[in-house]
Amino acid sequence: MTADRAAAGVIQVLGGILLAPMIPGLTQQIKARLQGRPGPSPLQPYRELRRLWHKSGVSPRPRTVVYELAPSLVTASLLVALVLVPIGARSPDWPVGHDALVLVGLLALSRFAITLAAWDTGGGFGLMGASRDLTFTVPAEGVMLLAVVLVAMPVHSTSLVALSLAATRSGVWGQPAHWAALLGFLLVLLAETGRQPIDNPDTHLELTMVHEGPLLEYAGRELAFLQWASAARHWIMVALATELFLPQPGPFLARLGLLTVALPLWCVLLALTETTQAKMRILQVPLLLGGGAVVCLLGLASWFAGGGV
Amino acid sequence: MSPPATLCAAGAVLVACGLVGSLAGRTRWALLLEALGMAMIGAAGAAVLFGAAAVGAQFGRGFSPAFGIDRLSGFFLFILGVVAVPALGWARGALADTPGARMTAGARMTAALTGAFCLSLVGLVMARDVTTFLGFWELMTLLPAALILIGRHDEPARRDVFAYLAITHLGGVGVWVSMLVLADHGALAGVPLHGDGLRGLVAIAAIIGFCTKAGAVPLHSWLPRAHPLAPAQISGLMSGVMIKVALYGLIRVLFEWDGPTPLWVGLTLLGLGVLSALGGVLYALFQNELKRLLAFSSIENVGIILLGLGASLVFAAIGRPQWSAIAFAAALLHVLNHAIFKALLFLGAGSFAAQVGGLGLDGLGGLLRRMPWTGAAFMVGAAAIAGVPPLNGFISEWMILQSLLHLSLFGRFGVSLVAAASAAALGATAALAVFCFVKVIGLVLLGPPRTTRADAAREAGVGMRWPLVLLASLCLLLGIIPGVLVPTLERLHHHTGLLSVHAGVDLPGTGGLPALPLALALTLLTVTLWRSSRNGRAEPTPAWTCGQATVPALAWTSAGFTKPLRILLENVLRPTRDLTIVHSESGVIQELRYEADVPHLFDSLIYEPVTTAALRMAGRIRRLQSGSLRTYLVYLLGLLMVLLALVQLGVLT
Repeated sequence: MTADRAAAGVIQVLGGILLAPMIPGLTQQIKARLQGRPGPSPLQPYRELRRLWHKSGVSPRPRTVVYELAPSLVTASLLVALVLVPIGARSPDWPVGHDALVLVGLLALSRFAITLAAWDTGGGFGLMGASRDLTFTVPAEGVMLLAVVLVAMPVHSTSLVALSLAATRSGVWGQPAHWAALLGFLLVLLAETGRQPIDNPDTHLELTMVHEGPLLEYAGRELAFLQWASAARHWIMVALATELFLPQPGPFLARLGLLTVALPLWCVLLALTETTQAKMRILQVPLLLGGGAVVCLLGLASWFAGGGV
Repeated sequence: MSPPATLCAAGAVLVACGLVGSLAGRTRWALLLEALGMAMIGAAGAAVLFGAAAVGAQFGRGFSPAFGIDRLSGFFLFILGVVAVPALGWARGALADTPGARMTAGARMTAALTGAFCLSLVGLVMARDVTTFLGFWELMTLLPAALILIGRHDEPARRDVFAYLAITHLGGVGVWVSMLVLADHGALAGVPLHGDGLRGLVAIAAIIGFCTKAGAVPLHSWLPRAHPLAPAQISGLMSGVMIKVALYGLIRVLFEWDGPTPLWVGLTLLGLGVLSALGGVLYALFQNELKRLLAFSSIENVGIILLGLGASLVFAAIGRPQWSAIAFAAALLHVLNHAIFKALLFLGAGSFAAQVGGLGLDGLGGLLRRMPWTGAAFMVGAAAIAGVPPLNGFISEWMILQSLLHLSLFGRFGVSLVAAASAAALGATAALAVFCFVKVIGLVLLGPPRTTRADAAREAGVGMRWPLVLLASLCLLLGIIPGVLVPTLERLHHHTGLLSVHAGVDLPGTGGLPALPLALALTLLTVTLWRSSRNGRAEPTPAWTCGQATVPALAWTSAGFTKPLRILLENVLRPTRDLTIVHSESGVIQELRYEADVPHLFDSLIYEPVTTAALRMAGRIRRLQSGSLRTYLVYLLGLLMVLLALVQLGVLT
């Protein structure tokens, strides 16, 4: 048991740090194939990180310490968030706990830091992206909480370890409430990782960027941090989607196997959505997320109609 | 007398001395005395809160004046001390920074009335009988009005003060009714009220009365008018303490004298909480003046506190005493947290106003570099109120969110649905608060200065700096080791405390909030990463705007940043926009004027029709007053006949 937890801890930290860029890389590759292009290699994000690591930073005028600290703070909050997410329903006793709402708070902290950096340089494009990002977050956080309520129903806990253990109980995934929560969570995943139809990760046209907007004024290692952070956000959300929502086997190794299969499958799913869906008009996005909230509330009703597990 | 009682009495005497001294013209010394006195009173409160025996009288049946401190009063005295000392210190520093100001009659009266206001708050929290309570309640309402009118003589300010007095007094009827009914039945002494009808009546009256004073939507209309008008230290005291003292009254009535309350009372508080939290932060987001924005944000935070209190009542009603105590502690922690950061933000706004002149959000900018101490402290306060870890706002919001979440896990369907919707609303509120205070920090502290006055701003004097730094470090401290306070607050509930004391907050059924390791990990990682991220920098260049020159006229504004949300909520907020062509030459437009506003719909849709109707009714009734003696004699005769008829019918016996 302790060996399991130690292994989970290693995967949390090393896997999270090293494998995270694979998720957006793989998604891009599959998407390109689906669109009939050869596309960049799945390892392209790593190459970009290496290239950026050797470049110097820029210094926009005006700027304060906020601009300089923001990339590190964003990266630090995501690093802490990585160890909150259990792997294979196990997690060593990290001193930072493993609460779902603390994770939400850390993601909010990273958003807070990067949008402040946009204000710091005062560039219009960064602020445009920041303003849209913060607008999407309003419904997204509401849906996120409803999804947490729904998955917490069977175990009466918001501990991510307890929640991912609950996914091994076969009764759970026969519940409509569970699938409603999955739908809500997937919408939040799209918003949080900035994928289509909510945001287009490929665009670098200034007027249409959302998540990429505040990154515009960065270069060198600072940009490398921010790009890794974006990849880590993918990793966290996809790992959570697997751990909390997929029908899970009991043993640790079997769960690890499922995770290994599921991660590329989520990439395929993301690539499929991106190929079939165009980017939405910005003001439609909150309506989409609001729809997610309604589905979650219906899920809650179905939970009580079914009498619970 | 026990040590806390002596300390408290000595503090009150000091404040009173300061009050007299400021009238005599020794304003700076007087403020120092008042601050010292409030520190002693706060310390006495803290002593009782943390375990010293209760002091003075207990609530009894009588109507004769009595004072005392129990643990709940001690907690509120502690908050009062934490806010009043920096506020008074800041006022003293502000006097030192503006030579000549200290001798004006206005400054003397302000200092004197500030002391009196503090004493009225102390008196209200320590009152142990209904007469004293109601007396200090009225003083607490009237003194800020006087304080505002010393500084502002213009017509709009007078109208706003009138609105403040009118609304709080009309709502205050609820306080009088509930308190007098409770006192009449001896409920203050612990005799439970009989009859669901009577208890319901008391609960409704108390909710209306105390929530009006606390500024809960839809009874809040006075708050965004009155708070911005007052001097910064008074705004801080009003937003930080006065509206919390109203919640103190609500807690006393609903949790002690009128309890245990039926389920609908808790649900009502949840509803009011959602309305206030979402309504407050939405309107805060669209404000263009810093102090008005902060006032709306106070409404939001009262909403968050009401959500915690409501959850606690509902937990009690569905038989979950442990979670009831946790939700109660969460609400009280947010009371303290909000008092700290809101006082910090109002005092910081005062410092900015002293340098820049106005507080229009589009006329500030770049103040972090010009006022590093004030700016950094203000930024900590804004981050704390936005509820990001590892600051104190996150801790209490996390606890309240957990309470709502567990309420929806434990409740039956109706309760569960309401709680889940409230949790989602609180989540959206938190996101909106981040949005709002990112805007505030960006427009006030970051970017280029937007006016020449903002460009010329210089750091405030030491006297105006230390109160801000003190409050900012409290925000950090309570964010890192909230666990030392939470079990104490939990014990204020009737349920005996179960949480253990350590740095973080470990609630049952959660993954835990180990605040200290979280803060340490974040700090260490940020510093390490920051050191490794330095790899040389290119020469400074302007930010990228597609190759255009960055001119100040193109700078982003408060309205621009919030525009996506404004368009999205057009049907709810009904923003107005006015586009007029000022000047055009042969059909080519040369100059435009664009005005946009998000009107406060509660004023125009609820308060104005009610006021108009009331004035019309008053006009009708005035016809009775003819001034003729004969008419009045007829009225008297009529009244006599009616009374005789009633006696005959046996109604009056």
